[in-house]
Order: sequence, then C-alpha cells, then structure tokens
Amino acid sequence: MNISDLAVRAPVVIGGDATVAETAALMTTAGVGCVIVVDAETPVGIVTDRDIVTRGVAQQYPIDGRIDGLMSMGLIALDVGRDFDDLLHVFRDHAIRRVPIVDHDRVVGIVSLDDLMVFATEQLADVSKVLAGQIMFPHAGDEALAPVPAS
Amino acid sequence: MFAHVGDELIIEGHRVGEPRRVGKVEEVRGDDGGPPYLVRWDDSGRSTLLFPGADCRIEHLTGAGKDS
Repeated sequence: MNISDLAVRAPVVIGGDATVAETAALMTTAGVGCVIVVDAETPVGIVTDRDIVTRGVAQQYPIDGRIDGLMSMGLIALDVGRDFDDLLHVFRDHAIRRVPIVDHDRVVGIVSLDDLMVFATEQLADVSKVLAGQIMFPHAGDEALAPVPAS
Repeated sequence: MFAHVGDELIIEGHRVGEPRRVGKVEEVRGDDGGPPYLVRWDDSGRSTLLFPGADCRIEHLTGAGKDS
C-alpha cells in the first residue's frame, strides 16, 4: 500500500520568526496539534502543542519569543511514493509520532501515529465484518466441507 | 550546510543515554549541496529524507569539503 492511499492531512506551516502566541493561535484555528516550521518553503523543524507546554510554559519561555526556539530540529520525512511498510519503519526507527510527506521536497502532508491507528482499526473492523458474516451466514459452498453422516 | 553523496551525517543524542545517529548521504536534493538529503541510517539500514537541523553535522568523507 502506498502512503498516498492513507488519509494524509494537509500540512500546517509557520515561519520560524513567528511567536509562540501566533503559533498557538494557528494550532487552535487549524485544529491541529503540530505545525511544521519553514524557512521560506524549506522545512526546518516541527513544533507540537506539547513542545509549547514543556519547552515553553514550563521553562518560562516568553510567549512573544520566536517559535524556532522551541521546535524540534532535524525533520525526518518520507517521499509520497514510499509504501506503508516504509512509514511503519520510520515511526519505529526514529521514535517520532508524526512524519511529513514530501513530493519533490515540498511538504504535501503529514501522517501521525494516531492516523495509522485509526487506519488499522478500520481495517480490523472490515475483517471483523467478514468473519461475523461467515459465522452467521455460512456459505452454501461450505456444505461440501460438512462431515458426512455415518451410514 | 552542504554535503556530497557518500558523506557521513551525524546527529548527537539529545538526552543522556540516547545514542548518536549516523548515516550516509545517498542523495543531495538541494541546490549546491544543500538539504534535504536522502540518508541511509547505519542502525536500521533504511533510508529517509532528512531536513537537518542545527544539531546535525556532516563529515565530508569524500574529501570534497570541510565540516559545515
């Protein structure tokens, strides 16, 4: 399965010179928990609502301070052409919860570990429906597999 | 920051006990050796695209330049 088959969310980006308050306001408006920090169009980091709490509020970082002072640097990304297995390995190998998806080095989406969990749950639900159907309404063809009564 | 194919890329651990990550640059996608880089990581053997931060350094193993 290709990454593009997943429900990749559109990325929310902000410049590194934005303030913490502006970033928090953007998160609220966009309804997201993380934004990608860019310099021009080049991603330079990522910041989450948790970063704002733990690195900002807890450390008394000024609310009008630059957001790139709080961001995580070194963005691990995946090309949109990679497959689901590659994505799983990235989450596992790099211990991260969000992976930006890039197309020709432009960020086109972001996938979170939560998104994968929702996807996996939906797949499991589909399997469950098939299984329930087979238990409740056995196929006519299954009669051929029924034990032959003793004569 | 700039790199060449074959250079070594290193990200030091950010917390006590966190190992450094080392990889080899397989592709340079930016202009003039700039990021992003396709990096094959030594520990996993798999490659990912990296937009490096200030915590990342390049060892120029190909002899084409000095550390950025």
